[in-house]
Amino acid sequence: MTPIDYLQFVLAPQVVNGLALGVAVVLVALGLTIIFGMLDVINMSHGEFYAIGAYAALALAAAGIGFWFLLVLVPILMIPLGMAAERLLIRPVFGSKDRHVTTLLVTFGLGLIVEDVLKIIFGANTQRPPTPISGASEIFGIILPNYRLFLILVGAAIVLAVAYVVYRTRLGAMVRAAAFDRNMAASLGVPVSLVYAGTFAFGVGLAGLAGVLLAPIYSVFPTMGRDFILLAFTVVIVGGMGSIWGAVVAGLLLTQVQALASLVISPVWTDPIVFGTMVAFLVFRPQGLFGRLGHA
Amino acid sequence: MHDRLTQSMRASHLLALLFVLASLGLAAIGAATGDTFYLRLGTEALIFAGLALSVDLLLGYSGALSLGQALYFGIGAYVSALTLMKVPSFWLAMAAAFAATLIAAIIGGLIANRVRGVYFALITFGLAQVFAKVVYNTRELGASDGMIGIPVIEIGFGPLSVSAGSPVGFFLVVLAIIMGLYALTAYLLDTPFGRVLTALKANERRVPFLGYSVWRARMAAYVLAGLIAGLSGALYPMLRGFVSPELMFFATSGNAVISVILGGVGTLIGAIYGSVLLVILKSIIGSWTEHHLIVIGALFMVCVMFLPKGLIGFVRPRIEALLMRRPQAGPVLAEPATLTPIAVKSGSAS
Amino acid sequence: MTTATITTFAAGLLAATALAAGALAQSGPIKIGVVTPLSGTYTPIGQQVRWGLELAAKEINAAGGVAGRQVALVFEDEEANPAVAVQKAEKLFQVEKVDFLTGTVNSGSTLAVAQLAERNNKLAATTVSFADSITGDKCSPNMFRVNARAEQQSVALAAWLAKEKPKAKVYYLGPDYEMGRSTVAAFKSSAEKTGSATGGEVFAPLDSKDYTQYFGQIRATRPQVLYTSVAGNDTVRLLTQLQDFGLLSGLTVVGASGTVTSQNITAIGAAAEGFATGVGYSPQIDRPENKKFVEAFRAANKADPDLYGADSYGVLFAYKAAVEKAGSTETDKVREALRGLTWQTPQGAKTIRAGDHQAMQPMYVVRVTKGKFDIIDNVSAENAIGPDACTRF
Repeated sequence: MTPIDYLQFVLAPQVVNGLALGVAVVLVALGLTIIFGMLDVINMSHGEFYAIGAYAALALAAAGIGFWFLLVLVPILMIPLGMAAERLLIRPVFGSKDRHVTTLLVTFGLGLIVEDVLKIIFGANTQRPPTPISGASEIFGIILPNYRLFLILVGAAIVLAVAYVVYRTRLGAMVRAAAFDRNMAASLGVPVSLVYAGTFAFGVGLAGLAGVLLAPIYSVFPTMGRDFILLAFTVVIVGGMGSIWGAVVAGLLLTQVQALASLVISPVWTDPIVFGTMVAFLVFRPQGLFGRLGHA
Repeated sequence: MHDRLTQSMRASHLLALLFVLASLGLAAIGAATGDTFYLRLGTEALIFAGLALSVDLLLGYSGALSLGQALYFGIGAYVSALTLMKVPSFWLAMAAAFAATLIAAIIGGLIANRVRGVYFALITFGLAQVFAKVVYNTRELGASDGMIGIPVIEIGFGPLSVSAGSPVGFFLVVLAIIMGLYALTAYLLDTPFGRVLTALKANERRVPFLGYSVWRARMAAYVLAGLIAGLSGALYPMLRGFVSPELMFFATSGNAVISVILGGVGTLIGAIYGSVLLVILKSIIGSWTEHHLIVIGALFMVCVMFLPKGLIGFVRPRIEALLMRRPQAGPVLAEPATLTPIAVKSGSAS
Repeated sequence: MTTATITTFAAGLLAATALAAGALAQSGPIKIGVVTPLSGTYTPIGQQVRWGLELAAKEINAAGGVAGRQVALVFEDEEANPAVAVQKAEKLFQVEKVDFLTGTVNSGSTLAVAQLAERNNKLAATTVSFADSITGDKCSPNMFRVNARAEQQSVALAAWLAKEKPKAKVYYLGPDYEMGRSTVAAFKSSAEKTGSATGGEVFAPLDSKDYTQYFGQIRATRPQVLYTSVAGNDTVRLLTQLQDFGLLSGLTVVGASGTVTSQNITAIGAAAEGFATGVGYSPQIDRPENKKFVEAFRAANKADPDLYGADSYGVLFAYKAAVEKAGSTETDKVREALRGLTWQTPQGAKTIRAGDHQAMQPMYVVRVTKGKFDIIDNVSAENAIGPDACTRF
C-alpha cells in the first residue's frame, strides 16, 4: 500500500467515519449530561429511553408516518414519559441522603423492566427502518453516505439549539439557577419542582430523538440501550457533568481516539483506551474538561 | 457498650444463627431424602451470597456502590480453576485465589479509591467490563467458551475428608466458609476499624479530625471486600466443574447488588438472605415465564424506593426491640446461648 | 398359615408391586429436557429450537410416541450463560428426571452441559453450537451433535467459491472472540487449500456499533470476496453499513451459517442480496419430507424454519430411532444405539459418526436472492465431514 493510498483509503475515511460516530455518541450523551449535571441523577435507564425512541419511530413509521415528522413527534411523545418517570421514580427518592446511589439503582431497575417490555411488545428479532436518505457522496475521494452527512449536520444543529436554550434563554437560566442552588432559586420564584421534572423529560426527549436518528444506522433490538451507555457515561465524565460543550468536545475526541487506536494498535484495545481515559479524568480532573453546569 | 450499632449488630447475629440452623435443618432433610439438585442449588446460592456480602461491606458500611464486584469473584474462580487443574488441592486453590485477589484488589483499590460516590460505581463497572473482555479474548483461559474439566476434589480437614462431589458434604463446607466470612466481617466492623468505616458513611469530612486516615479505611474495606468475593468465587469451580467469562459480567455483579437491596443494605446478613431469596425467586418465576427481568426489576425498584433496608430492615427492628426490652441487658447478653430462644421466637413470629 | 407361606406371599406381593411400578415407568412419558436461551440476545435462536422441538414432539406423539410412550418436553431458560445453563440442566436431570437433554446454543453452555451430562450419566445433544471443539478436542462420550459443525460449513462454501471465483482475493472480518476466530481460521484453511489468496484479516470487538472503521483497510486491499463470521445484530450493522458506503458492488460476501439467518434477514434487507454460506439445512431443499415439514412448521409458528429449527426438529427423531433400536432409555444402551445411527430428517438421511458423535450430512451452499436463500451448490456428507479429531473415546 502506498502512503497516498493509505492516506486516502484508510486514514482520512477513518477520521471522517469517526466524526459521524462521534456525533451519534454526542447525541446520546447530551440528554445524559443534562440530567446528570442538572438533577445530579445518574440515569442508568438512559440507554433504554434511547431504545424506546427507536422503537417508537419504527412503530409509527410502520403506521405510515414520515421520517421528518417523526423527528419532531417522537421527542414530544417522550416528554410525558420522562415527566412520569421523574414524578414516580426519581422524586420519591430525590431527598434521600444517598441520592446518587439511590437514583442510580432505581433507574437500573427501570432499565431491566423496559428491556423486557420492549421484547414482549416488539419481539426479540433485530429490525431496521429504511434509511431516509439514500446514496453516498464523494468528498475529496472519501466516500460518505448521505445519511451520515445529514446526521453530522443535524447533530450540530441540535447541539446548537440545546446550547442556546440552556445558556441563552430565560428557561435555561432557571434551570441553571436551580442546579446551582435549589433553595436560592426557589426563593427567587423559580418553580423548582416543575423545572426538575421538565429537565428530566427534556433529557429523555433527547434520548428519544437520538433513537430516531440512529435507528437507520445501528438498527433496533431490545438490548440496544446497552450499546452506547459506557461510552456515553465516559463522554459525560470527561466533558464535565452537565456541560454541553464538554460533551461535544469529549464525544468527538474520544471517538477519534478510538478510531485511530483501532487502526494503529488493534480494535480490541478501543474499549480499554476509552475506559483508561475515563479513569485518568476521574483521578486527575474529576470536574472534567469544562466543569459542571451551573458551577462553571 | 450497648449503643444502637452494637444492638443492631447483635440482632443481625441472631438472624445469622437462625440462618445457619435453618440451613443445617434443610441439609439434614436433603441428606435424608437423597436429594442432589436442591443441595447443590443451595450451595451455589451460598457462594453467590459471599459475593453479595462483599458488595454490602462496601455499600452498607463505607457507602461505596460497586457495580463490578464480580471482577474479584471471577478472578478467584479462574485462579482456583487453574490451580485445581494442575494440583487438585482445596487448600492450595483457596490460597492461590486469596493471593491473586489480594493483589488484584490492591491494584483495583488504588484506582477506584481515588474517587467516590457515583464515580466509584462507574469506575468499578468499567474495570470489571474491561477485565472480563480481556478474559473473553484470551485463548489460554478458554476465551469465550470458558474452561471445563475441573476435577471433583477431596477436601481434607486434618484426618477428615469431604468430597466436593458430595451434595451435603460440600454444602456444609461452603456454609462454614461463607458464615465464617460473615463472622469475620461482622467482627471487624465491631472493631475501631469498623467504626471508622461507619463514620465515613455518616460524614466523611469529619473523620480526619478524629485522627483517622479516610483513604486507609476505604482501602482496607475495598481489599477486604475483594478477598471475600475472591474466596467465594474460588468455591464455584469446585461445585460446577467449570468457569466461564460470564462469571465476571455485569449480570453477576448486578445480581449481587439486587441481592443486597432485597435483603437489606448495611446489615451483612441481609446480603446472605437476599441471595437465597433471589435464587428462589428466579427459580419460581423462571418456571412460569421467561420474562423474569420484569418481576425482578419491579421488586428491586420497590425495595429501593420503599424498603431501603430490605427484608432484614423490616424484621430486624422487631428483634432489636425485643433485645432492648430485656431488663438485665448487660455483658451476659453477649452469650449467644441465652439469646437463642428469643431468636427462634422472633424469627417464627415475623 | 406357616411362616414360610407368609414370606412367599409377601415376596410375591413385593414382586407384583415392583412389576407394576416398572410397567408404570415404561408407560409414563419420556421426558426430554430443553435448556435454551428464552431471554437475552440469543432469544430468536432459542425460539426456533423451541418451535422445532414442539413440532417434532407433537408429530411423534400423534403417531404413537417413542416405543409406545409419549414424549414430554420440559423447557428451562439458560439466558445464554453457561453458569445458568448448568444449574438448569442439573435441575432437569435431578428433579425432572429427564431421559435426554438438548437445546444449548452458545458453545460455552454446550461444553459445560456436556461435562454435567457425563457426571450425571445422562445423554445430551446440541442442535445449534457449531464450534469444532465440541466434537473435536473437547468431545464428550455423553454429547452428540446433529447439526453441521464449522468445518463442514467451510468445506462446502470453499468448494463452491473455488468454482465461482477461482483464485479470489479474500478479506476476513470476524468477531473478536473464540468462535469468531476459529470460524475464520477454519474457512481460511479451506479456502487456501482450494486456491484463494488472503488479502487481510481484522477482528472487530463483539457488539461493535460501527464497522466503518474497518472499511478503509478493506477498500485499500481491494478484495473480490469478503468472509465474515459475525452474527445477529452485528451482521445487520456490518452489511447495511457496507451497503451505505457503496462497498457491496463487485464484492462477494460469504460467511458462517449463523451470519445471515431468518432472524435478521428482514432487518438487513437489500444488503443481504448475494450473501452465500454453507449450511446443513435450507427450507428450499427439494424433498417431499422437507416440504411437508416447512408447511407444518409455518402453520404452527407463522414463520419459516431455519437451520436451528430444522436440526432441533430432527434431533427428536434421532432419539426416537435410538431408543427404539436400544429397546430402552438407559444411557449406555441409547449411546450405543446413537453411535453410527442413520435416521431420516427433513434435509435427508443423517448418520452419527461413532468416533466423535458428529452427524454426517449433505451440505448445501445457499445464496440470498430476493430476500430468500436459494440452494446453489451441494457437497456430499463424506466430502464435508473432515477428519475425526476426538481422542477421548
